[in-house]
Amino acid sequence: MRRRYLNLDLISLFAWLSLVGIGILAIYSATHGPASEFFASDPKQNFDNQIIWFGISVVGLLVALMLPIRFFQTIAFPVYGATLLLLVAALLFGREINGAKSWLHFGPMSLQVSELAKVGTIMAVAQVVGMRRPKTMDLKFAFILVGIILLPASLIVLQNDTGTALVFIGLIPIILFWSGLDINLLMLMISPAIVGYFAIVSLPTAIVLTVLFTAFMWWRTRDRRIAIFSGVATGGTVAMAKVALTVVFSDYQVQRILSFTNPGADEFKANVGFHQVNSMAAIGSGGWAGKGFLQGTQTQGGYVFEQSTDFIFSVIGEEWGFLGSIVILVLFGILMIRLLQLGANMKHPFGVLIASSTAGMYLIHIFINIGMATSLLPVIGIPLPFISYGGSALLANSALLAIVLSLHLRKDDFSIYGY
Amino acid sequence: MDEGRSRLRIFVALIAVVLGILFLRLGKLQIIERSDHTGKSTANAVRERRVQPPRGRFYDRNGVLLVENEPSFTLYVTPRYFDPTTIPLLSSLVMVPDSVIQQRFDLANKAPFQRSPLQPHITFEALSRVLEQRHNLPGVDYDISQKRRYLTDVRLTHALGYVREISETALEKHREEGYIRGDPFGQGGLELQYEQDVRGTPGSEFKMINIKGQVVADYLEGQENRAAQSGMDLTLTIDADLQAFAESLFVNKRGGVIAIDPSNGEVLAMHSAPDFDLEMFTERLDPAEWDSIRTHPDRPLFNRVTQSVLAPGSTFKPLVAMLALEQGVINRNSRYFCGGGHPIGRGNFFNCLAEHGSINVIEALEVSCNTFFFEMMNRIDVNSLNEIASRFGFGREPWLDIDSSSIERGLIPDSSYYNRIYGTVAERNRGLKVGWTQGNVMNLGVGQGEVNVSLLQLSRYIAAMANGGRLVTPHLVRGLIDPQTGEERIPAAPPSTQLEVNPVYLDIVKEGMKKVVHDHSWWLDIPGIPSMGKTGSAQNNRDEDNSWFIFAAPADNPKIAVAVLAENAGFGSNTAGPIGSFIAERYLKGTLELTPTRRDKLKTLMALNTITEINPGRGE
Repeated sequence: MRRRYLNLDLISLFAWLSLVGIGILAIYSATHGPASEFFASDPKQNFDNQIIWFGISVVGLLVALMLPIRFFQTIAFPVYGATLLLLVAALLFGREINGAKSWLHFGPMSLQVSELAKVGTIMAVAQVVGMRRPKTMDLKFAFILVGIILLPASLIVLQNDTGTALVFIGLIPIILFWSGLDINLLMLMISPAIVGYFAIVSLPTAIVLTVLFTAFMWWRTRDRRIAIFSGVATGGTVAMAKVALTVVFSDYQVQRILSFTNPGADEFKANVGFHQVNSMAAIGSGGWAGKGFLQGTQTQGGYVFEQSTDFIFSVIGEEWGFLGSIVILVLFGILMIRLLQLGANMKHPFGVLIASSTAGMYLIHIFINIGMATSLLPVIGIPLPFISYGGSALLANSALLAIVLSLHLRKDDFSIYGY
Repeated sequence: MDEGRSRLRIFVALIAVVLGILFLRLGKLQIIERSDHTGKSTANAVRERRVQPPRGRFYDRNGVLLVENEPSFTLYVTPRYFDPTTIPLLSSLVMVPDSVIQQRFDLANKAPFQRSPLQPHITFEALSRVLEQRHNLPGVDYDISQKRRYLTDVRLTHALGYVREISETALEKHREEGYIRGDPFGQGGLELQYEQDVRGTPGSEFKMINIKGQVVADYLEGQENRAAQSGMDLTLTIDADLQAFAESLFVNKRGGVIAIDPSNGEVLAMHSAPDFDLEMFTERLDPAEWDSIRTHPDRPLFNRVTQSVLAPGSTFKPLVAMLALEQGVINRNSRYFCGGGHPIGRGNFFNCLAEHGSINVIEALEVSCNTFFFEMMNRIDVNSLNEIASRFGFGREPWLDIDSSSIERGLIPDSSYYNRIYGTVAERNRGLKVGWTQGNVMNLGVGQGEVNVSLLQLSRYIAAMANGGRLVTPHLVRGLIDPQTGEERIPAAPPSTQLEVNPVYLDIVKEGMKKVVHDHSWWLDIPGIPSMGKTGSAQNNRDEDNSWFIFAAPADNPKIAVAVLAENAGFGSNTAGPIGSFIAERYLKGTLELTPTRRDKLKTLMALNTITEINPGRGE
């Protein structure tokens, strides 16, 4: 029994506590600053609620630490099924918030079920991969995994919560990567997404990337068919993006798509670019060390909408500056890399998949969220893990971490239940 | 497990790349483009609000506080953030009709992003009520400014000047001195002349503005704020009691008076009538009221002490007497025969008021004989008159510590002036121009013709005649006191100068001037205090003569010198004379000891009305 406590990973626990703590401080600043009397009463409640959800998450973590590996494996599919049901229920009975019908209310509690679906999905995928034998990776198996992810993702799209659905899509290559899909194949899968982004932002970069990627694939495989396929896939994406931008979409739509590259332009700054202009002004004006806790002029003036939720990073960037932002990035880095190590230590596909998919999912959130706040990406409404206000997200993200910690605590038991 | 290790490495690299991209992006925003974003964020979220310092206060020579400041609160609206449904609430808080607020809001709404005044000069109580409700009033905030407060019934209009928002042209000129649009700026008088001293140093308050345009908090808890520093207080040379008395004598009259201390030039009282009420500049200026003042035929804005240059009439005779004695064309006992006019004259020209017979210079001054002084200038070159007149400060711009644009130099002709205007003798002989004659010059002997002087100049002249030939510099400010440190500064003024005049001649002229008030117009003498003076009644192109008087008392140790003009009020001895004499008596005795004659003169004076009625139907 003593060894189990030694296996409790204090590093990731520390990173988690630090991030949640920073998040609570940032939410406090965004809702209880010197000018908060001018805010609507809703965001003020966010601070209290987040503390309650933090408490719930701590209890959940402690409970999870007491549960055996087998328990998680057993409940993986039921949890997945339950979250699917919840998604359907939200579609049917949910209340619409910010245009998305992804909320279910239980008395005073409201749950964003799409957040919980992440937990169920990752558990289900891990369980499928964990049960797989022999340990091969064929396309049929890959399709099963993709199907497990797409099912909740499409329900979430129906809920009109595209941002969260996008996270599930991003999860696909990560899960396939960790379940052993051929890396060349994976690169073929994700390369169109990357060149597609650059086709919108900078066409020359996209063309250079296409050429480099094709050459790289040729260098890696020496297989002419793969190289040609790479060139066609990436080049085709660039061409399609170009055609879409110039022929298919109207000028207005194109402008809207491109707005994030220049949110301060006259035609955007009052509407679609408004959040990003103010968010960039907040973050940029933070400078090296920031303006100080409760001293951010943009934050305290309420210039950035959703500053306690999706745009929480603007608070950190403004009040704690570059140094504070880097601390966040470093903590996230530590947490994710540590999760990967924990997964690797477990030496069991179930553990590996849960730990690494969790890290991957955090990564997607971090990139999209901070990318959005700094106008690197368009506005996609998803929270920054552990930091943004949002009980369901905090609970879901913490639950995944708790499962990994619990599995790692008993990693020696894996051999008993192993294949 | 090799496969697993390499996948781990790849994924760690992916995390490093993603975090690296975010790191670079943040570095770009927060380090490289920082100033750019800082500008953007402070531009919308922090507003520097100027804190206007209290302007320097004005005290009279005895320490009576004349002018101070009081805070003035103005509500502002930024229409973009304002909720028009709050108009009823707002108007009930400031207690004005809804329509007034609605109207101002509609006006402001033409520039919805601009902060415009919504209700000026609200009370502190009203402001407090608004502040209590500020959560419900987005887009509404306020400014505190200082406005002038006049404490006594002394008006001192033209000397004080007033304060208004700095004009665009003045702003252009004074930008380097730290002025910004909306700052107060002295307009005329002391307020302008001592602007740099009394304005103080404006402070700054940095306020955080939220997205709704509301002032929500002090920026950085006020650490960056700079307190405003009050301006320097002025101690004036004015005697408030005397000033108020002088003003009361000019009710319903056009004219002016300046009383100075002949020993040092301190201005004891200075008034130009009609004047205007400085109070009107402390509120929102009513354009109609301002227009009626600007266009009034009696020109209330015109400073008759410094700007009005007119023919001085007989008050000029003592100067001509001095000149004649200096030039040696007469001595104390030289006599000239007055037969009711100068022999050179025809018809009404070169007339005298009476047939004075054989008369010397002292008698000529006493009875103000025109014939005698025509003859003096008949014997004297015009350029000599110009020389002595400019020695006594005529024809030159006098110094006074009000804005120099309202100080006129007047005119003392010389031969080149006449040549320029009328043509030279040669030109006349060739029939090109009318030319000028001895007649032009002789006319100057009685202060008529092309001679223009101001009351300010006359006051120095009478002071110099009384004090033994010292030409003093009239000034309105004794000292500037820093209210923070108590330090006092004496403002620079040109020093007084001793004129090169023969004291013997001065005494002769003085003797004549004493007789003016002691014998000829005896009611002008202050009971119990021997004095000196000279009346004047100058023709002008309006109707009645302009009534002039110069006066100093006590004659042998003068404490006050007065120059008075009552426009179109007839003989100097009837209007300007009593005014000057009463002012001097009030100053020397603190009260008037009225003899029956002087009482009658005062009554007549008070009853006189020379104001142009422009709107007879309008009652008070």
